[in-house]
Amino acid sequence: MTVEQDVRAQTFARPAEMRVETAAGLQWAQEVLALTRRWYLLLIRERLNLVFSIAQPAIWLVFFGSGVDRAIDASAIGTDDYIAFMLPGIIAFTIVGGGVAGAMPLLWDKEQGYLDKMMSMPIARSSIIVSRFVFQVCLGSAQTIAVVLVAVIMGVRIESGVLGVLAILVAGGLLALAVTSVFVGLAYWVPGHGTFFAITGFITLPLLFMSNAFVPLDTMPGWMEVVARVNPLTYAIGAMRTLVLDGWEMSVLGAIAVLALAAILCLAAGADQFRRKTADRV
Amino acid sequence: MTAVIEAEGLVRSFGPHRAVDQLDLHVGRGEIFGLLGPNGAGKTTTIRMLTTLLAPQAGVARVCGFDVMRQPGEVRRRIGHVMQLVAWRGLLTGRECVEIEASLYHIPRPRVRKRAEEVLDLVGMLPHADRLWTEYSGGMKKRLDLACGLLNYPEALILDEPSLGLDVQSRHGVWEYIRSLQQEGVTVLIATNYLDEADRLCNRLTIIDHGRAVVTGAPSDLKRSVGGDVVQVMTDAPQRLRAAVEGQPWAKSIIEPDDGQLHIYVEDASVALPALMQLGVERDARMERVTYSQPTLDDVFLMHTGRELRDQEAVA
Repeated sequence: MTVEQDVRAQTFARPAEMRVETAAGLQWAQEVLALTRRWYLLLIRERLNLVFSIAQPAIWLVFFGSGVDRAIDASAIGTDDYIAFMLPGIIAFTIVGGGVAGAMPLLWDKEQGYLDKMMSMPIARSSIIVSRFVFQVCLGSAQTIAVVLVAVIMGVRIESGVLGVLAILVAGGLLALAVTSVFVGLAYWVPGHGTFFAITGFITLPLLFMSNAFVPLDTMPGWMEVVARVNPLTYAIGAMRTLVLDGWEMSVLGAIAVLALAAILCLAAGADQFRRKTADRV
Repeated sequence: MTAVIEAEGLVRSFGPHRAVDQLDLHVGRGEIFGLLGPNGAGKTTTIRMLTTLLAPQAGVARVCGFDVMRQPGEVRRRIGHVMQLVAWRGLLTGRECVEIEASLYHIPRPRVRKRAEEVLDLVGMLPHADRLWTEYSGGMKKRLDLACGLLNYPEALILDEPSLGLDVQSRHGVWEYIRSLQQEGVTVLIATNYLDEADRLCNRLTIIDHGRAVVTGAPSDLKRSVGGDVVQVMTDAPQRLRAAVEGQPWAKSIIEPDDGQLHIYVEDASVALPALMQLGVERDARMERVTYSQPTLDDVFLMHTGRELRDQEAVA
C-alpha cells in the first residue's frame, strides 16, 4: 500500500474505538463542551464588543453614580453611598443586556441554517441550549466580578465580605439564567430578528425601571411597587443590595429562593419554546 | 443490491401545497444517485425528511437500515448532510469549525485534531485552515461544508445542490470529490437542478416534478428511451408540419414545448432529415431552421412533463 492510499484509507475507515458508542453521558458532556467552545470563540473574536460589554457597567457606575450621588436623598435610600446603593442595579442591568446579547447567536443559528445543521447531527438537542446557559452564567459572573471590582476601587465597601461576593455571584447567576431563558425562548418564538429586537428594545428598560434597581420599593407609587414585586429583578437586586449595604441577613435567603423559582419557571418556558421550534422535526 | 436509502410513499404538505407526493426512492449501496428537478420540485423537502429534519406525513423512509421516524438518532449517526445553503459560522477559523463539529460527532477527543485535518486535506482546505471562515470565498465555504459532511465516516452522504452558486472550476472540483467518495464505498445522494451535473455524475437518478417521481433510471438509459436523435424545427406552420410528421415510420414522438419549436424524436437523424424536408415542401410548411442533436436529460424531462427544465433554471 502506498503512503497516499494509506492516508485515504484512514480518512474513510472508521477507527476501531469508534465502532462502539461511548456512554450517552460522556457524549453529552463532549457536545456541551464543544458548543461552549464555539460560544466562547464567537465572543472573544469580537474584541470591541467584549470590551464595551465589560466597560459599559463601569461607566454607568462612574458617570451616572457619581453624578447622581449628591442629588439623592440619603434618607430615602437608607444610605448616603448611592454608588453602593445602585451597584446591584447596575449588575442586574448588565445581566439583562447580556441576556439579550446572549440569545443573539441562537437567533442567527436559527435564521442562517446552523440550527438545522446541528439538528441533523447525532447530538442531544438539550446540549444546544444547555451550553448557551452555562456560557451565559459564566459570562454574567465575569461581568459581575468586573463591576464589583470597579465599585470597590471607587470606595464601596461590601458589608458581607468575600463570601458575600460569592453570594452576589449566585444571585447574578440565577438572574442570568432567568433572563437568558426568556430571551432565548423569545429568539425561538419570533418569526424574524426584527421582531426580536423590537420586543427586547421595548421591554428591557421598563423591566429595569419597574424594579428596585435605582429606587427603593417604598418610595415607589403603589401600582409600581406591585409590578416591581412580581419582577424577578427586584429579588436579585434586593438580595445583592442587602449583601452590599447591610451584610448577611435572612432576607437574602428568601430573595434567592424566589429568584431560583423564577429561574426555573423561565428555564422551563425557554426550553418549551425551543422544543416547539424543533417539534416539526422528528 | 442492498438499499442504503429507501423511501416508499413519502408525503409532505405545507398547507394546501403538496411538496412531496407519494415519492418512492431506492438508492443502492455505493451508488451516486441523483434527484433531478426544477426549483420547488420537492427535492429539499425530500432531503429534509431523509435527514430527520422534517417528519413525513405519510409513507416510510429508511436510511442505512433505520427508520427516520423511529430511530432518528441511528440515522444521524450514519449520514453526512451538506445543506443547500452554507450555514453561518461566524468569526471562527476553518479548523475551529471542523474541530467543533468533529466533537459533536463524538470523535474521541485525542483524535479530533487529526480527524479535522484529514477531512480538510481531502477537500484541499488544509492550507486555509487557520483563516477566518468569514474571509473564505463561496467556494471555500462550500468545501468546508463538504469536509464536515465526512467527519463521522458516513455510510451515506446526502448533498443538497452541492455546486449551487460555484464557478466552473469549483464545480469540477466538487464532482471529482464526489467521485472519489464513491471509490471509497460511500453512497451519495445528491439533489440538483443542473442537467450536466446529474448526467455526468450520477449512476442513476430520479426525475422529480411537483413532488412526484416522474421517471428513474441511469442517465444513458433515460436518454436512450427518448430516441436516437432529437430534431428541432423552427417553422411558421408548426401545426401543419406536426400533423404531417405524426404517423411517419421514422418519427417516434413529437413534442411542442413553449419555445416555438417542434421537437421530433427519431431513431436516426440522417434518415429522418431528408424525409422531413420533403414533407415540409409538400405541406407548404416553411422551415426557418432545423438542427439535431443527441437527447439530453432535458429531453427526458420534457418528454415526461411537457416542460423544459432549462427554462425553469433561467427563471430561477
